[in-house]
Amino acid sequence: MLALGGPGNLQQTTSYKVVLPFYVYAGISFIVGTIMLLLHTDVIQSHYFNPFTLAITHVMALGWGLMIIFGASHQLVPVLIEGKLDSNSLAYATFLFAGIGIPFIVAGFYGFNLGWMIQTGAVLVNIGVLCYLANILTSAFKSGKHDVHSWFVVTAALWLFATTFLGLLLVLNFTKPLLPSDSVAYLTIHAHLGIVGWFLLLVIGVASRLIPMFLISKYTNNKSLWWIYVLINSSLISFLFFKLFNLDSYFYYISMIMALAAILLFTRHIKRAHKVRIRKNVDEQMKISLLSVLQMLLPFVVLIAVLFLLPTEKNNIILLYGFCIFFGWLTAIILGMTFKTLPFIIWNRTYHKKAHAGKTPAPKELFNPRIYNAMAIIYVVGFVIFIVGIVLINNVLLKTGAIALLITALLYVFNTTIALTHKPKKI
Amino acid sequence: MSINVTTNNQDKCTEALSGLYNVYDPEVGLNVVDLGLIYQLDFNDDEKQLDATMTLTTQFCPMGESITGDVTQSLTTTFPEWKINVNLTFDPPWDYSKISPAGKEFLGH
Repeated sequence: MLALGGPGNLQQTTSYKVVLPFYVYAGISFIVGTIMLLLHTDVIQSHYFNPFTLAITHVMALGWGLMIIFGASHQLVPVLIEGKLDSNSLAYATFLFAGIGIPFIVAGFYGFNLGWMIQTGAVLVNIGVLCYLANILTSAFKSGKHDVHSWFVVTAALWLFATTFLGLLLVLNFTKPLLPSDSVAYLTIHAHLGIVGWFLLLVIGVASRLIPMFLISKYTNNKSLWWIYVLINSSLISFLFFKLFNLDSYFYYISMIMALAAILLFTRHIKRAHKVRIRKNVDEQMKISLLSVLQMLLPFVVLIAVLFLLPTEKNNIILLYGFCIFFGWLTAIILGMTFKTLPFIIWNRTYHKKAHAGKTPAPKELFNPRIYNAMAIIYVVGFVIFIVGIVLINNVLLKTGAIALLITALLYVFNTTIALTHKPKKI
Repeated sequence: MSINVTTNNQDKCTEALSGLYNVYDPEVGLNVVDLGLIYQLDFNDDEKQLDATMTLTTQFCPMGESITGDVTQSLTTTFPEWKINVNLTFDPPWDYSKISPAGKEFLGH
């Protein structure tokens, strides 16, 4: 007879069947996004409200960022809320509705069909997000433990719904006026609800638990994490207030300083966790993840330039801000964390309850490290070249950078395919 | 690293540990004994019952179910006639001092 008891409770993991479709979808979107970037490098001289910029932004934000974070968060919710994911069915529904809706939105922007096509996509994505929100809320409520990480996840899910719901209103507003102003006037609100409220809050909430865990670091500082939580939310709420009441652009510095303070606090948190880590050998995936923490600061440098240049509306600098977020910080953390979380999921699927029979392959052996290293180097080079290309408005540099980012996406998908198709080795 | 063992039969302890040396924390790549996850092994020879008390590097370890399952399987394989209880505890929490010298060397110290 076997028994497992004692005061400690085990984390309950989410089935790989729920999580893996999101990873596959995101990988394909990453390739699509980089192909579109390569085909339309000339958009950096245009206003950000143009079909190709909007299509690229949405394939990267929704297809790549949102879908992989959906997948990872379904897997990691038990770790963050100290409970189990409430409903696999809602997770499948999230994938189905968002997965079908995203191509409608991207195709709608790409062909500038702002009618039925994009409206259908926006409705479907909103249904998907509602399923996700319901799942997160019920999971957190049932776990009964409401520590800071749980607050990060729940609040981020609420901001996400605010983002997609406003997106739906903006889309409907194109054909039938619903809002006091035209949709373009609300684009920055829509973008920052998503970037700050969803991506930043969730990534910090998840990374503040995962990075110390993977470094085997005992560093914890909930007080600091609460400060970060308050600062990010205050930054976003104040920005919404300043924007809706049309206050002078100098007020935006207040919001920006609060967000910057949150990120500096988070950087300090990770630095301290890194300093007291028990595992001295930091693997390549963690190095890219740590790089992404530093990359969070880059958009602020650009944002200061954007605010400084606001009256002149330098389109390329405004687009640089978006590029640094979606192709910089967000992509870097996904490139790093995919190869920390995906191998675990595959390992659990393949070797669960087999490890006692001898040493099984380590999760990090389920993908090709040489391809990973090549991907990481090409990514950093491509990212830097593209940034220089944007600043100098040099099409050769932009094409070169875009090709490097496309190669990054292809290597990423190739390596995730190696992990996904892993067959159990004889022990 | 120290494991509290209650038995008069040292051979049984050696047998249990030799099996547990083959149970790895898949993320760290180190076995659970050198990693210091095994706190106690209580052998009750009269009732043929083995109570193992262990921990994890973190309470939030997503591989926890797999690792404790493998510890249970290992002890069951070593002592097929015995009743095996594996208890998970986080008191005291796992820390650096619980790693064996070989484990510390493996982790780059």
